[in-house]
Amino acid sequence: MVKRREEEWQRYYAAWPLKRPVMAKVVSDYFVRLHSHNFAWIHSLHYGVLRAHLYFRPTAPAHSTHHSAVSHLSLAVPSSATTMYQAGYHQNTAPPDMAQLQATMRSIELACSSIQMHANPAAAEATILSLNQSPQPYQACQFILENSELANARFLAAGAIRDAAIREWSFLETDYKKSLIRFCWLFIMKHAGSHEGYVQAKVASVAAQLLKRGWLDFTAADKEAIFLEVKQAVTGSQIVDVQYMGINFLESLVSEFSPSTSTAMGLPREFHEQCRTSLELDYIKEFYCWAQDAALNVSHRIIGSDSAIPEAKVCSAALRLMLQILNWDFKGKKNAVESSKRGLDVYCGDIKPESNFLGRSECILVQPGSLWRDVLISSGQVGWILNLYGALRQKFSCEGYWLDCPLAVSARKLIVQFCSITGTIFPSDGGYMQRQSLVQLLSGIIQWIEPPNAVLKAIECGRSESELLDGCRALMSMAAVSTPLVFDQLLKSLRPYGTLTLLSVLMSEVIKCLMENLSEEETWSWVARDILLDTWTALLTLDSSGHNDLLPPEGISAAANLFAIIVESELKAASASAFSDDNEYDYLHASVSAMDERLSSYALIARVASGATIPFLTTLFSERITRLHQGRGTTDPTETLEELYSLLLIAGHVLADEGQGEIPLVPKDIQAQFTDVVDADKHPVVILSGSIIRFAEQSLDPEMRTSFFSPRLMEAVIWFLARWSSTYLMPPEENKGNKSGENNNDAQVRLEHSKNALLSFFGEYNQGKLVLDIIIRISLTTLVSYPGEKDLQGLTCYQLLHGLVRRKNVISHLVSLDSWRDLANVFANERGLFSLNAAHQRSLAETLALSASGMKTSEASNQYIKSLTNHMTANLAELSCKNDLKHIAQQPDILLLVSCLLERLRGVASASEPRTQKAIYEMGFTVMNPILIFIEAYKHESVVVYLLLKFVVDWVDGQIIYLEARETAAAVDFCTRLLQLYSSHNIGKISVSLSNSLLSEADTERYKDLRALLQLLANLCSKDLVDFASESLEAYGVSISQVVFMGLHIVTPLITLELLKYPKLCHSYFSLLSHMLEIYPEVVAQLNVEAFGHIAETLDFGLHHQDGEVVDLCLRALKALASYHYKEKGMGKVGLGSHATISKDPGGKVQEGVLSRFLCSLLQLLLFEDYSTDLVSSAADALFPLILCEQNVYQNLVNELIERQTNQMFRLRLTNALQSLTNSNNLSTTLDRVNFQRFRKNLHSFLIEVRGFLRTL
Amino acid sequence: MSDEEHHFESKADAGASKTFPQQAGTIRKNGYIVIKGRPCKVVEVSTSKTGKHGHAKCHFVAIDIFNGKKLEDIVPSSHNCDVPHVNRTDYQLIDISEDGFVSLLTETGNTKDDLKLPTDENLLGQIKSGFEEGKDLVVSVMSAMGEEQICALKDIGPKN
Repeated sequence: MVKRREEEWQRYYAAWPLKRPVMAKVVSDYFVRLHSHNFAWIHSLHYGVLRAHLYFRPTAPAHSTHHSAVSHLSLAVPSSATTMYQAGYHQNTAPPDMAQLQATMRSIELACSSIQMHANPAAAEATILSLNQSPQPYQACQFILENSELANARFLAAGAIRDAAIREWSFLETDYKKSLIRFCWLFIMKHAGSHEGYVQAKVASVAAQLLKRGWLDFTAADKEAIFLEVKQAVTGSQIVDVQYMGINFLESLVSEFSPSTSTAMGLPREFHEQCRTSLELDYIKEFYCWAQDAALNVSHRIIGSDSAIPEAKVCSAALRLMLQILNWDFKGKKNAVESSKRGLDVYCGDIKPESNFLGRSECILVQPGSLWRDVLISSGQVGWILNLYGALRQKFSCEGYWLDCPLAVSARKLIVQFCSITGTIFPSDGGYMQRQSLVQLLSGIIQWIEPPNAVLKAIECGRSESELLDGCRALMSMAAVSTPLVFDQLLKSLRPYGTLTLLSVLMSEVIKCLMENLSEEETWSWVARDILLDTWTALLTLDSSGHNDLLPPEGISAAANLFAIIVESELKAASASAFSDDNEYDYLHASVSAMDERLSSYALIARVASGATIPFLTTLFSERITRLHQGRGTTDPTETLEELYSLLLIAGHVLADEGQGEIPLVPKDIQAQFTDVVDADKHPVVILSGSIIRFAEQSLDPEMRTSFFSPRLMEAVIWFLARWSSTYLMPPEENKGNKSGENNNDAQVRLEHSKNALLSFFGEYNQGKLVLDIIIRISLTTLVSYPGEKDLQGLTCYQLLHGLVRRKNVISHLVSLDSWRDLANVFANERGLFSLNAAHQRSLAETLALSASGMKTSEASNQYIKSLTNHMTANLAELSCKNDLKHIAQQPDILLLVSCLLERLRGVASASEPRTQKAIYEMGFTVMNPILIFIEAYKHESVVVYLLLKFVVDWVDGQIIYLEARETAAAVDFCTRLLQLYSSHNIGKISVSLSNSLLSEADTERYKDLRALLQLLANLCSKDLVDFASESLEAYGVSISQVVFMGLHIVTPLITLELLKYPKLCHSYFSLLSHMLEIYPEVVAQLNVEAFGHIAETLDFGLHHQDGEVVDLCLRALKALASYHYKEKGMGKVGLGSHATISKDPGGKVQEGVLSRFLCSLLQLLLFEDYSTDLVSSAADALFPLILCEQNVYQNLVNELIERQTNQMFRLRLTNALQSLTNSNNLSTTLDRVNFQRFRKNLHSFLIEVRGFLRTL
Repeated sequence: MSDEEHHFESKADAGASKTFPQQAGTIRKNGYIVIKGRPCKVVEVSTSKTGKHGHAKCHFVAIDIFNGKKLEDIVPSSHNCDVPHVNRTDYQLIDISEDGFVSLLTETGNTKDDLKLPTDENLLGQIKSGFEEGKDLVVSVMSAMGEEQICALKDIGPKN
């Protein structure tokens, strides 16, 4: 039973998608789960213990309230370290009290079994918790480990050793630490054959963690001594179980040293980084050799025997360890030095540019550096592992070996990993040795995947697919480390054709399989397709710096063939799904975003062979259109429509790249081909684009529209037009090459010529304007003639039109087009477009307003905006003046009108540009009064209130930095009135409803309002940072900071604790607050008692928030406040004045000064509470000025802290640590950068020194 | 039926009808809609298509604003839906009578005595306790399609 599970575990371990960092962690978790299938409680308990541990406070002694067993326990544990040392760690040398140890063991065992049976689990948990938390429980734990019959008890005891030792590490003696590690090691060696593997694994991991904890303290000789034994076990021992455990220990060790899988242990990152570097430099290669030796030693026995032998377990464990080591994130000698210099910033190592290519199946490049050459390359390792796997393949029919047996899986993984070795490990011989190595690997791997059709057939008949998938992965790894040409050559020495041909044939077969089993649940063919697709992507995007070496002709035709099959399969899938109605209404979004990646990979394949594939697409497209027209009125066009839909998506991807905010160029592969094309109108790209645009134009005809242009097809058309136009429509002049060209190379000239022909065909002075007009007319059609088609209209507004107005040379033509004027007119003056979705109206308004900068003069632009908005603002103003507004306001038609108009104005406001700023300011100014009237009239209609607020937010955001002082005064006054009105309507308001969901809606609405208000305040703030006004604000008596503080004072009472649970609101609130305190501490000093009290309370709340970012913001605010006060005091001023000495709590009671209060709570937080170590630096920055401000208070706190400490040794340590916190590193009393830095260092070491015992004793 | 109520009702009716037609595609989350003859607030809108190449339709999930019941409806998005005219009026609370009716002060200085207190214990508690503490309470009354109900209350402080 155990054995079988063991194997399962190993299979799990080898399961592919595990990435480097996660692997070991997942495995160890699984290990526990697997072996304790009915002990799942151990897991929860273990975490429970940890959690409880974290919340443990020194003020509440843990022992007092517990189960009776606890008292035994605390007696059993020696109370001071000295007795421990005398006792030594072996329970048999000097047992302090056998009876007590027995009692402890029994109580733990009892607790274990009672938890398992759910009998009084709380008390049992408390018992176990007390073992973990008691000071120096080592002797008891060791006793349990050695004597308990109950595996769970042993498991827990191991965990308790770890917890206690990590906690007490700083005051254990070095010898004792070493003896703990040695105990663990001897334990696993002694019980290597035990059936309860999870206990052994746990003890091994405890040993690994302790070893790491002491890594920097132990001398090299200490470590040597330990590793000598490990080496003995792994390579020298003939006992399978001992070897296995040795390897197991190394595995734990490597994963503990790997930054992403390491345990934090409450230590700074620097520590982990130093350990990582040290292991990489000094040990990891040795470990690898040991594992390799172990595997080598047993492999001949495995090959030699006919059935499964126990050595297979060792061999696969060794291979796994080798794989794990190859997965190590090698930084190399140079980087290590640099990173240790960079100090805390150690994790932001260089991002490897090589691994940047697109790809879902991750491929990790192995770059161990030249030191590894002898081990990995020259030693003939590759041949050995290939042989081993080859021999295994012969045995798959035997009992004990099968395609997915652990040994086979690990061997395959290792082979795949060998394929991705690259970098300086190979000598600089022009890649010769690397090629040799890859050819050798390929010669082994090819058997897994060739001949493709036979392999796939076998899988369809029930053979495991894992070998094929690993083969595909190996190809991907090879693709990632070589160029297309090298990749293609690899197979040439073994076969008459190149690797690209193999890749193309293999993928075609996989896609054929996929087509045949469209509906089936088989996933392997999807997986294989995705890996192979990534292989192509890796090959074709490897060299982003413009790879001019095209594929060899053979490779190009392979790509063309493959693309034909791909398109065929996509079309087949499309027509098959045409009638399925399984809620795939968001298919477009799926295909355009999620499937986008797949289609982009297809496009890469198509582009390398664009000479063949683009005409091919044109043919397919015109075939479909002909079919559509022929069958008009007689047959159902749905299947053809769906095929056209797919073709449009594919063609869009092939022809153009996504801009991602920039203007994309014509894809390089497409540019580089077609050098023989002379006439622009014969250019295949022009022909394909032209036929699609002509087809799209037919949608303008109402009759055609109703028969063919379904909303879905229109979506694809609009999407295509948006994507295509950003590359080809009126491209900027500078994209074209220089026609004169100093380079007189004939091919170069022809290339330039064909490129320019393509670019200018749809340019400004050729067909561009015509096509632009068609596009605008199509857009107007989708907006007007497809009522209620939200998705289609969304695409038109956001992608197509918005993309067009972002480009300068397009808008200058745009504004001169009649069709654009029609669109603006329909929008501004007619009611038709009120039926558009509100957000779309906003976007359309923004688009139209942005196009104003296409006008020749600034006057014309402003005039354009005016004519666009006049009607709307007048409408609002008129409405607000109506006498019966109160009664008609809530009428649905008026409600709709007002919200549409507001959305539109908001759209225009967010299009603010320097050129149109005047007109947009006017627009906002005109509606200021109406807005205040509406906010009163609609105070119960939160939807409208939100729109009003958002309009003001966007308008202020766009305008504030340009406004002159007088205008600013008006805007600020308006905002204040808005805030006051909003507050007066909402403060103390309670919504009453029977429906919970309506109540929570009301909450959400309030949350959104408040976020908008905070945004408004933040936008106002920006006036103080960037200001283009010609005169200063003071002349008008406006102080932005005072206004914002007043705003905060108005808004704060509306923010409830409930609302602060929304993280976004919480962040924006605290970031605004800390921004204000940091920039304007002097204004804080002038606040009245009540307002200041609010702020202090808020900071106090934020300091204890669970979100680290919020705490950080509060710490920054505190630093600012305290530093301000200290500096002012130093200059003989009042600083925070009375706020610093006396403050009042909400009840009006007088309390101590705010700074001393914060000093207390910050110290409390740092010493006793739970927080992320990332916060220590900012806490230091806040604590330092606080201490300086309130030196007496600090001294009292420190004395109290020392008084509380009863243990003499700890008291001494604490006193020393506190002493050096404020005195070491030449810390002085000025607040400058250097001192802050010194104090940060001091605090870090102070916390490491004392937190361990302060938190538990 | 008291005169005041009659007066109020006729005034609401004089201005406009109780519902208005509006295109389904324009009705947003948090807007109002009539489903099965009940005025509702929309809490969820999703769109789907009738067949791949068909037209869009809107799926509304809405909650009856008076009784809190959940209702659903599917409408082609180019068709019209009925949207109720939901009116909210603030009144100052003058008195709570023994039989569960409230007495409210209208803007014109008249009283409105025909509105019952909510039946829900929680809401009732909030109104009653506030009133007994002597706070000045303003209640918002929501009315639509001939029904009305207290929907919010606000403490405007003891001074006014």
